[in-house]
Amino acid sequence: MASLTFHPLRRRLALAGGHTATAAADAAGGRRETASYRPAKLVEGPLRAIAVGAPIAWTEPVAFLDGTQHVELLGYLGTDPVLGADVRAAVRVRRARRLTLSTEAHERLVVARPHALARLAPSLPGAVRAIPVDDAEPPHPIADAERAHALVDRARTALEIEVARRFRAVEPTTWCLVDGSLATSPDWARDPQMLGVVKSHATLPFTDDELHTYLTLPAGHRTSIFAPATRQVAPVYAWALRLHEWEGKDLFHGLLRIEAPATEHTLVHADAWSRHLLAERAPLAADRRADRLLYGIHDVERYLRARAGGG
Amino acid sequence: MSMLGRVLATELKPSTPHQFHFWTAADAVLGIGTIVRVEGDARTVFGVVTEAVAYADLARPMDAVIGADGDPARTADDPTLRPEIRLWTAAVLRQLPEEPMQPVPLGTVTAASNDDVRIALRMDAYVNEDASTGIPIGLYAAGGMSAPVYLDADFLVGPEAAHLNITGVSGLATKTSAVTFLMQSLFQTFPAGKGSVAAVCFNVKGPDLCFLDQAAPLGTDDLALWRQLGLVASPFTDLTVYAPYKADGVNLNTLRSHPALVDRVEPLVWGLREILDYAEVVLNRDDVDAKADALLDFLADRVVGKRFDAPELRAAPFAVETFADLDELFRAIFDHLETTQRGGEVWRTHHVATIRKVRNRLGNIATRARGLVTDDGVANDLPWGEFRDRSVTVVDVAGVDPLAQDLVFARVISRLREHLERRDLGVDHIVVFVDELNKYAPADGPETHVKKMLLDLSERGRYLGLVLFSAQQFRSQVLRRVVGNAGTTAYGRMDSDELAMPGYATLPPAVKAKLAALPKGELLLRHPHFTQPVFVRFPRPASLSGREGIEHFPPAADLPFADAVIQRLRLLDPTVRADDVRALLADRPEVEVRAALSATTRRRPDAPFAFFRGMLRKTIPNTTPEPARGITPLAHDDADPFAPY
Repeated sequence: MASLTFHPLRRRLALAGGHTATAAADAAGGRRETASYRPAKLVEGPLRAIAVGAPIAWTEPVAFLDGTQHVELLGYLGTDPVLGADVRAAVRVRRARRLTLSTEAHERLVVARPHALARLAPSLPGAVRAIPVDDAEPPHPIADAERAHALVDRARTALEIEVARRFRAVEPTTWCLVDGSLATSPDWARDPQMLGVVKSHATLPFTDDELHTYLTLPAGHRTSIFAPATRQVAPVYAWALRLHEWEGKDLFHGLLRIEAPATEHTLVHADAWSRHLLAERAPLAADRRADRLLYGIHDVERYLRARAGGG
Repeated sequence: MSMLGRVLATELKPSTPHQFHFWTAADAVLGIGTIVRVEGDARTVFGVVTEAVAYADLARPMDAVIGADGDPARTADDPTLRPEIRLWTAAVLRQLPEEPMQPVPLGTVTAASNDDVRIALRMDAYVNEDASTGIPIGLYAAGGMSAPVYLDADFLVGPEAAHLNITGVSGLATKTSAVTFLMQSLFQTFPAGKGSVAAVCFNVKGPDLCFLDQAAPLGTDDLALWRQLGLVASPFTDLTVYAPYKADGVNLNTLRSHPALVDRVEPLVWGLREILDYAEVVLNRDDVDAKADALLDFLADRVVGKRFDAPELRAAPFAVETFADLDELFRAIFDHLETTQRGGEVWRTHHVATIRKVRNRLGNIATRARGLVTDDGVANDLPWGEFRDRSVTVVDVAGVDPLAQDLVFARVISRLREHLERRDLGVDHIVVFVDELNKYAPADGPETHVKKMLLDLSERGRYLGLVLFSAQQFRSQVLRRVVGNAGTTAYGRMDSDELAMPGYATLPPAVKAKLAALPKGELLLRHPHFTQPVFVRFPRPASLSGREGIEHFPPAADLPFADAVIQRLRLLDPTVRADDVRALLADRPEVEVRAALSATTRRRPDAPFAFFRGMLRKTIPNTTPEPARGITPLAHDDADPFAPY
């Protein structure tokens, strides 16, 4: 069901002569990923399971960074799809066990082919940013919608980078756990107090026996550190960390990929950081991804959804 | 006022014109019963908190177990505390503007100020500078602020509504204390323009109401409460305790018998005339058939207190004034039926069985209510027609037979009603306090005269100025129409079983939970002006409680007959000499002394001892004549067989 958030935009689309649609777009609520294999380079010896030791909670403040996106098909101008998106990002900091907002950003978008946007632009509210879809390709409603989605993903990432920048401007040394890869930003990839927590395993770094070792990692263990091959702009080091027992559940149950700056410092401190991350297993988030979703990340996500009106 | 929270509404928890929900920070200072103010959409809404929930974002209990690896102790080590919601439900007290009535806006919530409480409870309509009819009942206190709460005199003592009923568990002294305080408040603040007011209190257990004129030592907190309510902490100044005699007929059947306090204790003594009008109280439903009723009417109209000629019984007319006189008449009737009309069963249309039944029942009264009912015809009654403004009359029936208690209730309340109807009671309004209402007006059980009378009082008393303040432990066990007619209802600490009764279904669970643990001195109050019940705190009354009274003024032991007579005469004239009284009483029948004492107490003559002596029969000294002295006896001659000596 379409949310009321985009109701004004749909009215303007109708006024511009378009046909409104009320269905939410496919994958309306998150980044879309394609399953793939990209071989990684091991930097800590052969791939093996390493016990990290007992969980130790961070005693100093820790920040959590996440973003959300909500995309809806507003309708069509002719046969061109027009998508609306609400993207948000925030950093919430935990002090004395309580999470409070540090900074947030919000943007409302309309994404469509340039000529469609040209018809719509005069009636768009000033707070809505129009993003044109590349019109080099011939019009195709489904392909255009997918390209629009990619643009929304990019807008969300830009917003996350922006809130991280603002956060770092005021708290340069506070630990910051990012939902997703650090490789999206060179600043993040260099930040010694930042870790990327990746829940998705659509892209796998190993095959064969190494993949077996990777996916059957026992709880409380990490893998050897590797450098993932990536299309992204910044090199990072990564390792898998199992938060919960997977036996009897799923190979991916409780399995995270942790990213850190590609430095010697990471090689030295990976165990200590892993112990801190293990402590973040509790409390358990009220989410179907609770096995991999750190509570702090869940808190940011929930905050952003509440700000967006629960959509 | 600083902001407490914000109204929220969801599809499952919507705002309505009568209820809303709001959330607050976990450390917000409010609780069940707190009055709040909502501002939003150009409307102001006042509400009282009736329910509260708190929960975290834990989806399932099992998540807590998994998150702590099965070890409850580890939860304390969680790096992040789960956020917790404090969600409150409030019932709307008032909306401004009142029309159109709309759902509560999603506005800001603040704690109510003193002025807000006045407006929220609609007290602004009757508590004002010009013509206030407000009677302070207690303080609403929340979040460090407190505001006086007033009842509307027009709705407490009539004519708009009337009566007060209070429910609460026994042993906390809340019920009696609350009523005592309210009466003190009423006496101090009853508007002059509404006339005079007095109280009649039935003391039905122990010394509960026996020391209402004795000042209680109040603490600073209580004195501050009195001051905040604009009242002076002082006990009742005009109090009279009426109590029947004990079986000996001279010692009063009351725990207020300490010598320092007996000057305000009067005997309550009734004769045949007083009893006969309320004979149906002591007759059960089977007894009061048409035949018995007819005979009782015949006795009341034609016989008692009149010269009754019955030549078929005896030549001399009957003068029936006492139970003894009445029994003489009955015996004459039976003699007549058994001898003159051998085998006859009817005397003046009354069947002998009916006559025997009425004789038995009436005779039984004198036995069961000995001390209250006198056989000598001299009664001492409440000051009908002479009730004083702001006076308290305590009728102490705690120590008498239940049948006698019923009799006292029925007669006193009926007479109050009669006098108020005629406007000759002496005051315009009378407050009648009855404790243990479930005993006198039970929901189940037979239709007794007392029950019917209390029902009548509760349904029609307000038009007359006859107001019932009643109390009981279990409201559910009281006749619903009696408590239902109480315009003002108060609840002290309640028993959980009682709260589970259907009559309390309108109270939210949290309010019930608070009631079950309510501290002494707090009440939940319903009043016609209040849209929702509110909790108030009242100060200790300025009078000694029964228990304190007993400690300060221990009851005196029963006096020997002569000493008791001396004490009662000295109350009328402190100069009466004990030796004179003893000399007067020597060898006299007690019944004669009791009659003389009753007459003296009732008449209150200028010279009590002389009057008392005059009421006693003249006696000839019982002396043995001695031979006259001074006359020489005749000479004795032993030889003379006919000599007189």
